Amino acid sequence: MLKDQAMSVVFDGNPLKAMQSSHTHTPQNALSTQELYQEIKSFISGVDTVQGRKLSVREHARCAVRLLRSVPACRGAVLEHLRGVYDEHVSAFLHSLETEGEASTGVGSNLEDIIQEVHGVLSEFIRLNPRAWAPLVSAWAVDLLGQLSSKHAGRRAAPHSSSLNELLQLWMSCAATRSLMEAYSQCLAAMLAWCPDACVDALLDTSVQHSPHFDWVVAHIGSAFPGTIISRVLACGLKDFCSHGTKDQGLGVMGGDKGSRVPKIGSVVGILGHLAAHHSDSIRRELLRMFQESLSPSGPLSPSSSSSSWESSPQLRRAAVPFLLQLAALSPNLLGAVSAELVELLRPPVLLQLQALLQGLPREELDNMLGLAVHLISQSPAGGARVLRFLADTATPASVIISGPTPSPHEGVREACDRLLQMLLLHLHKLVYNRLDGGEGNPHHSALSQSQRVIPFLEELQAHVGELCAETLRLERKRHLWLHQLLCLLSVYGGPSVATEALCQLLTQARNPEELALAWQLHTPLSACLPGLIPAAVARCVAQIHTHTLGPRQLRQLLLNLAAAIQSQDEERRGAAGTQSSMAVQVGSAVSGHLHDFCLLLLHGDPAVSHAAVRLLSSSPLPRTCSPAHLLLLSRTAVTHFFLALRRRGEGGKVGRDGGQAGEAVNCSVLLLSRLGAYSPLTLKSVLQQLVEGALHKGNADLFGGQIADMAGDPPLSPSMSPDLGASLLDINCRFGTTVNFSGSVWSVFHAGVIGKGLKVRAARPLADPAGVIQNVQTLLAVTVQCCSSSGLNGTMNGSRHPQTDPDEPLPINAEAAKVIAVTLVENICPDVANGELSWPPEEHARTTVERDIHIRRCFEAHPILFPLLHVVAAGRPALCYCSAVLRGLLATLLVHWEASREGLATDSPWHLQASCLLVSCMGEGQLLPPVLGNVHEVFPYLTPFEVRLLLLAVWEYVRGNGPMPQKFVFSSEKGLFCRDFSRDGDVARYVAPIHSVLHKNIDRLGHLCWRFQL
Amino acid sequence: MGDIRQSLLPRDVLSAAKELLYHLDIYICNLVQSGRQPPQVDTKTLELVEEFILHAPKDRNAPPRRMNALQELQLLEIMCSCFQEQSRDTVRQLMFSALFSLQGNQADESRMALLGKLVSMAIAVGRVPILECAATWLQRTHRVYCVRLARVLVDDYCSLVPGSVSTLYNIQSSSPRFCCQFITAVATLYDLTSEELTPPLELLQMIVSWLQDDPRLVLITFLNTPLSGSQPISSLDLTPLGGLVRWCVKAPLAYRRDKKQSLTNGSSECEPDVGPLFSALHLSVLQVFMLLPNILNEKGLFGRLALLQMEPLAALTSDLSRLLDQADKHTHSSSTDTHALSQLALDRLAQALQVAMANGALLCSREDLRAICSRLPHNNLLQLVMSGPVMYFNNIHTPPLAFSPHASHSPITTHPTHPTHPTHPTHPTHTPLASHPSSHPQYPAQPFLSGMPFPFRPSH
Repeated sequence: MLKDQAMSVVFDGNPLKAMQSSHTHTPQNALSTQELYQEIKSFISGVDTVQGRKLSVREHARCAVRLLRSVPACRGAVLEHLRGVYDEHVSAFLHSLETEGEASTGVGSNLEDIIQEVHGVLSEFIRLNPRAWAPLVSAWAVDLLGQLSSKHAGRRAAPHSSSLNELLQLWMSCAATRSLMEAYSQCLAAMLAWCPDACVDALLDTSVQHSPHFDWVVAHIGSAFPGTIISRVLACGLKDFCSHGTKDQGLGVMGGDKGSRVPKIGSVVGILGHLAAHHSDSIRRELLRMFQESLSPSGPLSPSSSSSSWESSPQLRRAAVPFLLQLAALSPNLLGAVSAELVELLRPPVLLQLQALLQGLPREELDNMLGLAVHLISQSPAGGARVLRFLADTATPASVIISGPTPSPHEGVREACDRLLQMLLLHLHKLVYNRLDGGEGNPHHSALSQSQRVIPFLEELQAHVGELCAETLRLERKRHLWLHQLLCLLSVYGGPSVATEALCQLLTQARNPEELALAWQLHTPLSACLPGLIPAAVARCVAQIHTHTLGPRQLRQLLLNLAAAIQSQDEERRGAAGTQSSMAVQVGSAVSGHLHDFCLLLLHGDPAVSHAAVRLLSSSPLPRTCSPAHLLLLSRTAVTHFFLALRRRGEGGKVGRDGGQAGEAVNCSVLLLSRLGAYSPLTLKSVLQQLVEGALHKGNADLFGGQIADMAGDPPLSPSMSPDLGASLLDINCRFGTTVNFSGSVWSVFHAGVIGKGLKVRAARPLADPAGVIQNVQTLLAVTVQCCSSSGLNGTMNGSRHPQTDPDEPLPINAEAAKVIAVTLVENICPDVANGELSWPPEEHARTTVERDIHIRRCFEAHPILFPLLHVVAAGRPALCYCSAVLRGLLATLLVHWEASREGLATDSPWHLQASCLLVSCMGEGQLLPPVLGNVHEVFPYLTPFEVRLLLLAVWEYVRGNGPMPQKFVFSSEKGLFCRDFSRDGDVARYVAPIHSVLHKNIDRLGHLCWRFQL
Repeated sequence: MGDIRQSLLPRDVLSAAKELLYHLDIYICNLVQSGRQPPQVDTKTLELVEEFILHAPKDRNAPPRRMNALQELQLLEIMCSCFQEQSRDTVRQLMFSALFSLQGNQADESRMALLGKLVSMAIAVGRVPILECAATWLQRTHRVYCVRLARVLVDDYCSLVPGSVSTLYNIQSSSPRFCCQFITAVATLYDLTSEELTPPLELLQMIVSWLQDDPRLVLITFLNTPLSGSQPISSLDLTPLGGLVRWCVKAPLAYRRDKKQSLTNGSSECEPDVGPLFSALHLSVLQVFMLLPNILNEKGLFGRLALLQMEPLAALTSDLSRLLDQADKHTHSSSTDTHALSQLALDRLAQALQVAMANGALLCSREDLRAICSRLPHNNLLQLVMSGPVMYFNNIHTPPLAFSPHASHSPITTHPTHPTHPTHPTHPTHTPLASHPSSHPQYPAQPFLSGMPFPFRPSH
């Protein structure tokens, strides 16, 4: 009927038909009003009104679903009833889990299809009319989920609430909760379009109410809708935070009642914490965005923000910063996510905005925030170095002189930062020292303190000790005080390794006494709790040296700093014993343990480094015990350095400042050598030996006016200069097919040139600076004498001598030391040891050794330093005896010379004259000759060559007759010297006759000298 | 009655409410039997109702008592049977108003909520007495609340529960009075100003069917109400005619706007076209107007009672002119389509005005009409209606179209099918009553002789 009439209305026919049909199409299960009434009654009473029996759960639920479909007014009641059904199903489900399947499958499976049915109906409704149904169902579902999950949390089958994944698995395998979750997701997806705040609010409320059992829901939803949920959750949290007031924000820090006073923030943290695993980037973005938006000046806001968003309320904007701080305080995850990038945002304009924003807050609140910020910084696991740099940069007062890296911010901002930094230091101080006390004081706290012991800020800064030290050493006004304090805390916190590192860095990087003083200031408080710090630091420095991580400048600085440290010890000893003294002693002893490491630096290519090294070594005490290998190494390098220093002095003498440094280096070197010499017989011997060998080495010969010559005495010729003589030793050797050493044989006249080609051309050698040579010789002799006269050997041989020492008198040369020199000289000058016995043969026998004698003579020619050395040896009687072979060889060649000389006067061959004089005087000094004979050299310059020969021959004869034997010397304790009693030897008179004859012959010129030769 | 409070207090929520209902029933019976005129329920009782049924917070300290949804359902069920079993109309009415008359206090919110559920449930289970009471309530209550109740019902039956419209459809037969009031409320609620306020398709279909079944349905309230002049202020109109005319006139423009939005939104749901529905509705409305002269004459009210008021009409025309302006501005592309729709709206307006005036539902002069329609663009039919059927009127009032001051507003001047030639006022016998130009665009200006009857009834 209805249809007919509808048709009749339409002018041209059919379009109404379709529409009308939707009317006539009513659900097949449409019930009459009476039936519906019966249904309602049944539903209310739970009894089938027709048959009068009780409804089963299933039937009751079916009835409810029918009502839901047909009687709109019943929906509240139906949904409420369905709560019970869902609950029942969950119970059954858990029960069957608990009884492991042996029990009934009936109840659970029966209800499962009902739940499917309900779910189908609800999701159909939501799909058809989301606007009407989504808010309704979402509220219901969330509430029911919360109720179910907290009600059944204690069940045996339910995992603990902390294991989120298991919870999620359990609940998602349960049909009831899964269906609820799906329905809620569907609602949320629909509602996000028009009222996202409301649904997130509901979620948070429920979460608060049923936390932590509800977390799985939030986690699931959050990961399904990360983009919206994060920002919404934050906005909700902020609103709630704001409405709860900020008065109790400080409580969260203390840890007692986390989050209980500000209910939503706890769940905000929880939710974001869950999401952080997979969506940390978006969380970070949102947090930073919130911070930035809260600062951006109010007024025309970004058009995208809806009117309901928090940005539009000034109150909320002001609360945003405290809120974010609070969030960060409650969740290390969030803190970690934000802290690193936050600092980058804090440019000066932002800081000004922040200041403007926070100015309105009351004092107490600001203090709370400050405390919170300090806490957060100390807990932030990453980016601490950047935070610190930012704080220090901002807090450092602007200066006209030093313009910081950033433009100076507003004064208020600076003061705030200053305050923040000081509070941070104070806080860290408390943490660090409480941590130390906590361990032993309260045993029952140990578990708790275990977690508190870790201070993430300091943990992270440990990696930046080097930079901190460098910053500190810049000595910028307040900054270095802060940083120094921080270094101190860091060292205490990090224990020996960090402290060592810090000290080591300071030692390496300090460039002047003020900066170096920072190292001692650091050490003073640390020494109490960290024993053995300095040795460790020094060892670490040495390790650095070994790994070549330091550049030459740093290396030099380190060495100088150490030297300065040790020297301060001496100064302190003079003055009152201060705090530094003990430290200086420690440094000294620590360095002395590593001398062998430092000594290698003496030969460093950079003069500055080697200078610094010698300064350190010369000021460092020597170790009480030391292995011979180290000592030998030390002495060898020290001697090598000595010659290097001499050469540098010679080269740098003209430059001025460098010259002064080189001179100081020589002095230090001398000091070092003499101390080494005094240290032990071994070192003395080694030093002397090396000194002599070094002085004669062809590389060093020119330092002492010597010619650059091989030990054969020939100055080498540069190949280009020497004409090709067509002679080759190799050819000759090949021709004879032998490798026999021909020295001493006829073939060795190669010395003088090739037979038949005339004499070898002597290379003209550049004249060394005579003043320099003299200075060098003096230095070398001074070193040698100092070594020889030091107590190293004397102590062992005759300790009783010291008291009688006349302070004006130079100390006597030690015989043993002199012997070392003597032996070394012989070894270096004599090419072979044939005929090396001490006693002299008759003069004629010298012919057999003419080759060697020539060699010896050339040596003396090439090395003027030999005579002074011989003098030294002579002074250390009876050491000269050991030079007997050398003396003999020289004397033999001199005899030959004077014999062959056709000059009118001895002065015509100056070198030979000088050599003769020196030789005789040496032998006299060394008491190889009696005084009468020892004085003959005084007359040489006045004589003819022949007369000189006569006198020298007399000397030879004497020595041949009275062999130069050490056992002829006896120690005289009153002189502290060995002396030879010539009276025990044969009559001197017969050797004196030639002298007297010569005197007689030349009495006109030698009369004044006659008294010298009285017997 | 006030003394039972102490005995109610310790009860649980549901049984207290139940007991109060029981006592209320007895109390009102006594009240009616006592014969006091007018029977008045005292304030004490009303307060009890608020406390134990509506659970308005009595004082701040007491924890609010609340029923859960199940208990509420039980209460509703009890109320249903309570009203059903009460045989006396007066008692029922008194009880209903004791429960649901708005008191202007904070209990009104819960009162409205409970009323909505009760009426909704009464519809579902066919409780006629409650619907009758509700119809009375709708007559007496401020229209804001009437509209709220209507909205609850529409939400329940047209959007929340799919397929339940048929239940609502049945109220036509079970309680025509309620049905009429419901239509009035709905026509007041949905004024087509926004998407929110556009009637759902199901509702529209239902109302069209109702009217096609029996056009007199909308007059039932009017027929049953003695005109005592005691109509409460700002209650609903006597008939939904004004609202329905508004629907029909604005629909072409309003739905076009909606369609365009849904197109731009990309959600191209294949909604059935509502145009024919509104055509049918329009026809029904005109038919109702045609019924009026007899009824009014019976009541002796012809020419004395205006069922269509002038103010709403003026509001409608100004709305319409605004809509047309917007349509003009915003659509350049489908201008022919727009033009046809605007003309449809204007045609419907002209038809409704003409028929209403002719049948005594609208009491005004053509001067007045011209005043309220002055801002509308040109429409031939409207022009005719405004000028009236009388040929000897001074033609100053109907200047040739070319010189019309409104012509500049109108995009119609270039309408291809319209004669650009001005109408000839010198041919009064021609009163062209345009049929639907949308359906017959090729015969736009079919002239009718003045003596011929209006083709309000399709010839079949």
